[in-house]
Amino acid sequence: MRCGKTKKFVKITIAAFLFMLPLLLTGCWNNRDLTETNIVAGLGLDRTEEGKILLTVQVVEPAAIQSTTSGKGKGGGAQPKPVFVESYEGDTVFEALRGMLSKVDNKLFASTVQVLILGENLSQDGINEALDFFQRDHEVEYKMDVLVAKGVTPKEILEMETDMNSIPAVYVKGTIENTVSRGTVKRTLLIDLVKNFCCSGRQLAIGQITKAGEKEVGTEGTAVFSEGKLAGWLDPYETRGYLFATGKVKSAIVNIPTDNGKIAMEIIRSKGKVYVEFENGEPALLTVKVGLEANVGEYEGKGKLDSPDSLHKLEELLDEEVKKEIKMALDRIQKDYSSDIFGFGTQVHKYHPQYWKEAKEQWKDTFSKLPADIKVEAKIRRTGVIKGPIKKGG
Amino acid sequence: MGDKDMFGKTKKHNWNKDQKADPDNSRNDKNESIPQSIEEVKARLNEAFSQCSDFLLREIICGEDGSVRMLVAYINGFIDKRVLNQDVIRPILEYLSKLKAQDKGNHMYELLKECVISSNDLKEAGNIQQAVNSIVSGEALLFIDGEEKALVIGVKAPQGRQVAEPDTEVSIRGAREGFVENLLTNTTLLRKRIKNPNLKLEMLQLGEQTRTDICICYIKGIANEAIIEEVKERLKKIKTDAILDSGYMEQFIADSRLSLFPTVGNSEKCDKLAAKLLEGRVAIFCDGTPYVLTVPYLFIESLQASDDYYDHAFFATFMRLLRLLALLVSNLMPGMYVALVGFHHTVIPFKLMITLAASRQGIPFSPFTEAVLMIIAFELLREAGVRMPRPIGQSLSIVGAIVLGEASVAAGIASNLMVIIVAITAICSFIVPPLIRATMLLRFVFLAAANFLGFLGIAFVSVAVFIHLCRLRSFGVPYMAPFSPLTASDLKDSFVVVPIWAMVTRPRILRQENTKGTAGTKRQEVQVKR
Repeated sequence: MRCGKTKKFVKITIAAFLFMLPLLLTGCWNNRDLTETNIVAGLGLDRTEEGKILLTVQVVEPAAIQSTTSGKGKGGGAQPKPVFVESYEGDTVFEALRGMLSKVDNKLFASTVQVLILGENLSQDGINEALDFFQRDHEVEYKMDVLVAKGVTPKEILEMETDMNSIPAVYVKGTIENTVSRGTVKRTLLIDLVKNFCCSGRQLAIGQITKAGEKEVGTEGTAVFSEGKLAGWLDPYETRGYLFATGKVKSAIVNIPTDNGKIAMEIIRSKGKVYVEFENGEPALLTVKVGLEANVGEYEGKGKLDSPDSLHKLEELLDEEVKKEIKMALDRIQKDYSSDIFGFGTQVHKYHPQYWKEAKEQWKDTFSKLPADIKVEAKIRRTGVIKGPIKKGG
Repeated sequence: MGDKDMFGKTKKHNWNKDQKADPDNSRNDKNESIPQSIEEVKARLNEAFSQCSDFLLREIICGEDGSVRMLVAYINGFIDKRVLNQDVIRPILEYLSKLKAQDKGNHMYELLKECVISSNDLKEAGNIQQAVNSIVSGEALLFIDGEEKALVIGVKAPQGRQVAEPDTEVSIRGAREGFVENLLTNTTLLRKRIKNPNLKLEMLQLGEQTRTDICICYIKGIANEAIIEEVKERLKKIKTDAILDSGYMEQFIADSRLSLFPTVGNSEKCDKLAAKLLEGRVAIFCDGTPYVLTVPYLFIESLQASDDYYDHAFFATFMRLLRLLALLVSNLMPGMYVALVGFHHTVIPFKLMITLAASRQGIPFSPFTEAVLMIIAFELLREAGVRMPRPIGQSLSIVGAIVLGEASVAAGIASNLMVIIVAITAICSFIVPPLIRATMLLRFVFLAAANFLGFLGIAFVSVAVFIHLCRLRSFGVPYMAPFSPLTASDLKDSFVVVPIWAMVTRPRILRQENTKGTAGTKRQEVQVKR
């Protein structure tokens, strides 16, 4: 009998234990219907003249989108707008977000945010404080794209209507994804930003967004930050140089000038690494090493591309071209912005921690004065389906 | 503990004791012998069968002085009269007409039995009770004046419908024959498939009033003796007025009477039943129903279909996994949807989110209410489809498809997506028929839990269901075998089906003498001879 009792006790304990296991799962506890939420697709963050935070949201109206995509819209009559944009001013981001609720009909749901656009004003004042909320809140999507607006306010971008997608924020995200394959924008997700905050020795660089037309945006170039404040911009080619150096180019088209025209090389793979060489316990040389693999995409030169020699010549030309771009970017950040977005400081931190401890504060100036050595090694893999240039007139 | 625990639950079959009271006084004296005088026999029978208009008595009075008297008693319509006349009455009359006075004697009974009656199915009734039982079972009784026993002649007329393809279990390949209501036809169908004297068919009668013929069937040497004994024991404990269908028995002998999950299987396909017997299961036939019970019944059997073994193993494996998926979907889908829409917006991809939100726009009900309404509507349709006369079927499907599907969405009562989800759930629930009842109810439990706690609630209910499933036993065999306890060799016919030539061992879990503490117990493994 006693044995039976113990067994029962063990059984109950096991059952209780099993029931407690799901408690370890995390998740949302409150039951909130989808129809009672406003789906936020885009967020804009800027600072007003008075120093207040200006928060802009772009909210999707699902019903309107459904009717436009399925073509069920009632002919004639005013089509419901697929999105609406609202702004609210507040001292803090959270306050502005909550304050917004006085203007909209449903709770704002921020996990669906596709893009977060930071204004120039805010960026110049420093973004670290404003981004605190985005790290602290649990309902924030870490994979949203972050961009800095140049020459335009976030509100203007979010209010822009485009013909290409019914949701402008999705359109913006699409353009970034495309530009990434050009290698001319530093794509920054919120998670990258967060990681960068706790990474010593590297300054922030965030993609840039501009207004390219009445209904279009351009997402090219990079905003360079120094100590959380906007220091300046890199143009698309400098951006590419920067991305080559840090090994973030997935694909790009690099033009090589030759005697008769240009050759377009398609970069298919690239590896980049930066480090700092030390002499007598002091940093002496910044080194950038890049390895490339490329295909010939377009050829305007003379002669056939069928000998190893001609390809070697092309490889050298490509080396030079990429080197030039990296040099441009490096010069710009050393001389104009003195912001180490390449992450040389991280390397120092990693391999010379003792030195880093002492020289951390002055790194900005130290780094700006260091000479640089850039090595690029390109390999051409394929030349396309034809050997030589197209012959004109047979 | 130990052995007793194996069938521990079933030892308390006494809750139906009060049904035992027998209203028929005539049966009180069970061993009343047959009176020698034919007049007395006649009186006893007439008393027993008073107001039974289908009871017939035919008296044969023969001999020079009318001293040879016999009585044939039977139920009209139950027996084949032509056979009775040809094989019994006519030979007797011919014999008696040639009979000389000096031949009369006490050996009349033996003579008739051995030399005169040409019927093959002859038995003996020693007392009135047996005689009456035989008569109501459809046999003809021959009483002879001066004898204390009666001759039971099996001349039962073949009756009932023809062997046909079962409606409930359809297979693409395999035999089309299904069982019928007639017990003998059924056992014959089975014997045709297993031509082996080791196929044992043990008869008994159950039901105080109905006296239904029950037949326990197993293959000696393959089936576990302990399970056979347990089946007999449980059946003997049944005290009830009526066994009208094998479902009555199922409820009496099931291990867990309150469980939603079936622990006794049933089938009306001969080939399926033969396969189950060959695996070492025990079958219970019940006269009057085509559904034959099989025990032990394990969870995995719900996912098995006879096609699995007739077809390519890869295909069968795919179908098994598909059925498992269907089982999960039909249980969880509405709950998942409610949890997703109500709690876990963060896990929905952006584009899907917009579609979801758009389809829910303007729906006045919460997802939970909506789901419950739609599922109930579907269950109503299903039930109506089962109950109503066939010719009305078409109008029902029109009402179901158009009114419930189209119109409810157009009217903004239900969302498009909910209609899709209920439809998928419904389709999936038909894929695993044995668990359809369990699924039907569990679906609501999952739904309620999801509405209350989201995925967490679903996790809670899942844990509870799994604990229940792992605790269940069917005739001492763990319900979740071969997964829990893990029986490696039995996994060959679980979620993965190996080709038939690779299934070299019989299910091991059915052979275990004692499923608790396998150490020290005999485990017999029989190689299938090919």
